[in-house]
Amino acid sequence: MVALFVLYPPLYGILLRTPLGAEFDAFLPGTTFLIGMLYLGLFAMSFDFISGYTGYLSFGHATFFGVGAYVVVLAANGKVPGISEGTPFMITMVLGGLVAFALALAIGAVSFRLTGVYFAMITLGFAQVVYELVRNWDYVAVNPQSGPTIGGPTPEIGVPYVDSLSVALGRLAGDSFENVLGLGIDISATLTTYYAIGLVVLLSYFAMQRIIHSPFGRVMIAIRENEERARAIGYNVFWYKMAAFGFSGFFAAIAGALFAAYVGTAPPNETFHFLVTADALIVTIIGGIGTLAGPFFGTVSYEWLEDVLSSEQGGLAPYLRATLPDGILTTDVADVINTAIAGRAPLYLGIVFVLFVLFVPNGLLGTVRDRLGDTVGTAVGDRLERYRH
Amino acid sequence: MMGTTTGLAPLVDTPLAVDAIGRLLQFDTLARIIIEGFGKAAIYFIIAVGLTIVFGLMGVLNFAHGAFAMLWAYLGGILMVVTISSGTSPVARFALFIAVAAVIFALLTAFGSVLEIGLVRPIYDRTPMYQILLTFGVGLILEELTRIVTSARGIQPEPTWTGAAATIPASLERFYSIFGANIRGFYLFAIVAGILIAAVVWAFLTRTLYGLYIRAGSEDDEMVEALGIDVRKAFTIVFGLGTGLAAVGGVFLMWDPTQGPSVLLNIEVLLYAFVVVVIGGLGSFKGTLAAAVLVGSADSLTTWVFNTGLVDFPGLSEVTIFLLLVIALVVRPQGLYGVEEVGGH
Repeated sequence: MVALFVLYPPLYGILLRTPLGAEFDAFLPGTTFLIGMLYLGLFAMSFDFISGYTGYLSFGHATFFGVGAYVVVLAANGKVPGISEGTPFMITMVLGGLVAFALALAIGAVSFRLTGVYFAMITLGFAQVVYELVRNWDYVAVNPQSGPTIGGPTPEIGVPYVDSLSVALGRLAGDSFENVLGLGIDISATLTTYYAIGLVVLLSYFAMQRIIHSPFGRVMIAIRENEERARAIGYNVFWYKMAAFGFSGFFAAIAGALFAAYVGTAPPNETFHFLVTADALIVTIIGGIGTLAGPFFGTVSYEWLEDVLSSEQGGLAPYLRATLPDGILTTDVADVINTAIAGRAPLYLGIVFVLFVLFVPNGLLGTVRDRLGDTVGTAVGDRLERYRH
Repeated sequence: MMGTTTGLAPLVDTPLAVDAIGRLLQFDTLARIIIEGFGKAAIYFIIAVGLTIVFGLMGVLNFAHGAFAMLWAYLGGILMVVTISSGTSPVARFALFIAVAAVIFALLTAFGSVLEIGLVRPIYDRTPMYQILLTFGVGLILEELTRIVTSARGIQPEPTWTGAAATIPASLERFYSIFGANIRGFYLFAIVAGILIAAVVWAFLTRTLYGLYIRAGSEDDEMVEALGIDVRKAFTIVFGLGTGLAAVGGVFLMWDPTQGPSVLLNIEVLLYAFVVVVIGGLGSFKGTLAAAVLVGSADSLTTWVFNTGLVDFPGLSEVTIFLLLVIALVVRPQGLYGVEEVGGH
């Protein structure tokens, strides 16, 4: 899977040059959408980390995404006290994560007294308070409604204070490399970003995976299955839930930091807003709630859909307009294409979502696992083992 | 988030504050805040009551509630624009408004019933979360469809469509002097309508058989089923009625000076309706009424505080409302009049 993501961009470039290039351009996601897949996938995974594994629906999860994004942008603009403008991105990113961790503990301390729908509502309430505060707080930007923008140089991904490594990984958005390691491979600026963000997402995924497969993670699942029993066994479920919420907030903030650093700005409507949480919820259901990689695949499907239906270059609508014979392409058909296809991803996503809720409640990965009876990696391994004998 | 409080502190101007407290204690200011608060409360009540009766019987948190209100704010607006000309008298406009609200109520009640049979019914046996997810998906689809239609018809992308708001009779846009306070006519109209709707819903809940089922169902739905009541039919009817009430809320927002039909109304109505319903106690009619008054008064008070220039923070009333939600949940998780562990199948 990882290899596929590493190899995809060059492969995509080759496919575009084949005779079917126009079709590939229309139906395969471009690199900019891939980058979106990465950080949104991480956010969806962090949402699933708390909601899918402990069963506590965190309806205000966008808050942590927003905190990560804002800390990075504000730090880059020198507006976080005690942090200079030139602080390496890795440090501000982790700092954002820690702030989100602390905030998650504060919100959790109050919210975990409640369960079910009430927990969802109180986290939503906190998120809306924070959203309105940020949106009207004129310290963050000249126009807080549209959010702060990075004024300084583009942030760098790399190990802080180790210059050689920073250079090797390049800036988050900007550097391009020609003839890497003398192999004759060129890496464009976008591609550098893609790999740099991908690495952070991959590391975060492994970290979350590690937590879930540790004894701590088993307790989280025990809480989801039967909290009373988990408590009766002697676990202090409150602190387990708090810690899980904190970790989840931390990784959501990492995702937010990546978003802000890549886009260079942090509009409150795309960071702190309720709909950001809703997007994570939707892709989590489509991918499979309670499976860590599932939300990532959900995000991949969503971003792919969005790319295919985008009205800009590389979408289905421009492709149809260019390739349909003039006889079919009357004004009526063109109207249908404009209204029903171009930029309509949320509509189709909504329909797919409802169908999934009705017919595939376990989501993509969950259903595959049910069929195989185990996680994909183990099950495939077992099958292969069988054929060896 | 860090330093939010330090950022807010310089916003409060001390001499202004002393002056404002003096003015707040004056009779006309108080009257204005209270009456406007009731007007806002009426609107909050109208948008939230449908949500609470659906939750009361079915334990379904209807996340499509906002989308219903949004959709029918548009439809009501279109009906009004079509039927009204500039020469239509205010009385005729009122009559038409009521007719439109009634037609829309009937239409949407039917629509809601069909939706319940087709989509919600198959998943009652699952955890309540799936009903939330399903209705949320339905809301999403409705929102996008509205967006497609409105953009194709050239109504959007302006965030607010002014055509419908312009059909408001002049008598509702005027300010009336009551107890020395200037009150916009719309709020008085909303108070009257809110009281009427509250009375009708209350009568429905306490004087009809289905009302009895709803009240019984919110206490113990398994027992209701065991007594041989056709809960499925009751569900369908109640979901329909809840949807219809959302539509009436939408029609009201069409004339609201601070709202007007827009696609964004979906999330906005949804969140406000949730706040009211949760503060009041999920599924409790009395609680919804009380919470609407509470939220409406808070809204009116904070709007006044902002308008005096005392606090330079445009989002003040939104922050206050959601803070109220958080405080209410911390102090009384089951809401003002809620029963603990209500709902859920």
